[in-house]
Amino acid sequence: MRVAALNKRYGDQHALADVSFAVNAGETLGLIGPNGAGKTTLLEAVAGLVPIDSGEVFWGGRPLSQGERRQHMFYLPDGVRPWSDQYVVRVLEFFAGVYRRSRSEIAAVVAAVGLTPVLGKRVVALSKGYARRMMWALALIAPHPLLLMDEPFDGFDLKQTRQMMGVLRQLLVPARTLVLSIHQLSDAEHVCDRFVLLTDGRVRGAGTLEELSVQAGRPTGGLEEIFLALA
Amino acid sequence: MRSPETTVISPAPFLPLLVKELREVVSGRALWIMILILCPLAGYSFFQAVSLYSEASAAVQQSPVLATGLSPLDGILVPTFGSFYVAVTLLFPFVAIRVLGREKESGALRLLIQLPYAIPTLIATKLLAVMAAWSLAFVPVVSSVSIWMMLGGHLHAPETLNLIFGHALYGLLVGTIAIFAASIAEGAATAAIITLTFTIGSWVLDFTAAGRPGFLDWLSRLSLTQTLRPFEQGLLSAGLMIGMVTVVAGFAALAGIWLPPGVSLRRKLLWSLCCVAATAAILAVVAQARWSIDVTEDRRNSFPLADERALPHLAAPLVITVRLAPEDPRYVDLRRNVLSKLERSLSDLTIRLAGAQQSVIGKAGDDAYGEVEYVYAGRAATSRSTSHREILPLLYGLAGMALPPPVPGDDYAGYPLVANADAMLLWFFGALPLLIAIAWWWSRRPPPVNHLTIVTEIKNEVTQAN
Repeated sequence: MRVAALNKRYGDQHALADVSFAVNAGETLGLIGPNGAGKTTLLEAVAGLVPIDSGEVFWGGRPLSQGERRQHMFYLPDGVRPWSDQYVVRVLEFFAGVYRRSRSEIAAVVAAVGLTPVLGKRVVALSKGYARRMMWALALIAPHPLLLMDEPFDGFDLKQTRQMMGVLRQLLVPARTLVLSIHQLSDAEHVCDRFVLLTDGRVRGAGTLEELSVQAGRPTGGLEEIFLALA
Repeated sequence: MRSPETTVISPAPFLPLLVKELREVVSGRALWIMILILCPLAGYSFFQAVSLYSEASAAVQQSPVLATGLSPLDGILVPTFGSFYVAVTLLFPFVAIRVLGREKESGALRLLIQLPYAIPTLIATKLLAVMAAWSLAFVPVVSSVSIWMMLGGHLHAPETLNLIFGHALYGLLVGTIAIFAASIAEGAATAAIITLTFTIGSWVLDFTAAGRPGFLDWLSRLSLTQTLRPFEQGLLSAGLMIGMVTVVAGFAALAGIWLPPGVSLRRKLLWSLCCVAATAAILAVVAQARWSIDVTEDRRNSFPLADERALPHLAAPLVITVRLAPEDPRYVDLRRNVLSKLERSLSDLTIRLAGAQQSVIGKAGDDAYGEVEYVYAGRAATSRSTSHREILPLLYGLAGMALPPPVPGDDYAGYPLVANADAMLLWFFGALPLLIAIAWWWSRRPPPVNHLTIVTEIKNEVTQAN
């Protein structure tokens, strides 16, 4: 997938300014930036969930209309508790029905993300961590080749984050292309192959850790130092 | 454990979406509270209707001729359904808004919109869920009708079904407006204000504009309340039916236009304009449709059978010029007793309202005011009567036809019934609310079977892996 010259304004403010980047098949791309950098807007713009002023999204070299995007990509928003009055098992059943997933596939997903203890709870009653796990389960059930996930590790403690990184490597990375919006740079460093650094709606750098360190002139620095240098 | 496979996204099956929408609407408190409020509301309306009907029926025992005026449609059904109308107008919007508003507020809409369903499918499914909620809310009314039959009361199936159909269309209309409001508003509160502007605004239109001349009269016809009147009068009108369905489709299309969050405001406004124009054009055409059926047992919307058979022989154009202001009670009588029935019986009829720009007070001194002129085949006659018993002979005279002989057995006998529904108050104020509360509790139970099924599947998965 390639994003070319995306622009989005809210009044006088540039939420996205000429944002361009590409993600290769099977790759895990991290969108890195501070709060308010435009990461969520960018993901929603790519998914076709916010209107953009200009720009294109390409899939296999062909521009994708908004309607076509849901054929290829699925976006998992941050901070939502979908169908909060329903039981967790009902929400999973709904997604399983929509995407014709078998019971054993759902059972595997439930086991992988550790949702078993709360299957009989309402979504509204879930803790932040379990609500996030449910969103992960929905991401795993969705069969799209490209997943856009907004702050996928938000709400997890350190141990849970490591566990979910394992799930990501074991279940998602082998089959999908991932674009993850992450503000915790240490998390991003652990799971992403390449990075797009975003501040104030502009791309400040893109590439692997090595490529970015060259761009930033910090050959031995970590992602944090590189980010501070480029931003 | 294997990674769940990626596949080509094919159109999704409809059933999971429908089940999800039904669960969503049933899981909301608004629906159950509305039904609980409806129990005493419908029950007391029914109790009052039975009391008054019984009093009138008791009077008939001294004067049997009065029995012809006792129709269960007017005496029982319309007052009982009236309470349901009030609930649908004031409370049902909150139930219907929830179907979409909750998903907008929680962010679930951003997931829903990405699923492989077309926007019209999403809207249609939500409307189905809204109508399922309407059907549940209708339970207290159904129980009233059942009790009436148990008390020995008579019901004429066509007029009863016609009334239910009218209320269902009205419920669908209110539900669609609510979904449209939820699609354009950010929160449920704003959506409720928008919907109530339509529903309560209709009442205001009814009170202030109905019967006034000119633009106000036209404006009053936009009232949602007006749509129920023909059904309450026992008329099944094609124009009204198609008109209501068109408005429902128009609001549903508008909701579909405003639902996707990724479309620019300018494009939404442009498409909305096209949608409103198309709906208005269809309504303008539909307004010309005159076809209707009188489904009442007493044939109140039709002339006597003999006249109904004779009138189609008046093949030449009939032009009627009415010199009355639209708000004049005599015009209302003439319209109800003669003009509307002639519209249903004659194919070539023109009605001119010469007093349309006048008011009753302003023309009180005009000698010609109040006259109605009938012109048929080059001959004219004038009358001030508003009764078909005087007008029809006048028309036969203009056409040179003899008066048709009356058809035997054409008289409506009426259905007097002296009944006591006091004990039924216990049902509406006690037993029925209790049953509904139990149904509410039952609908909120956790799903143990499916939960266990998945746990079993997990165990199987683990066993297979080992």
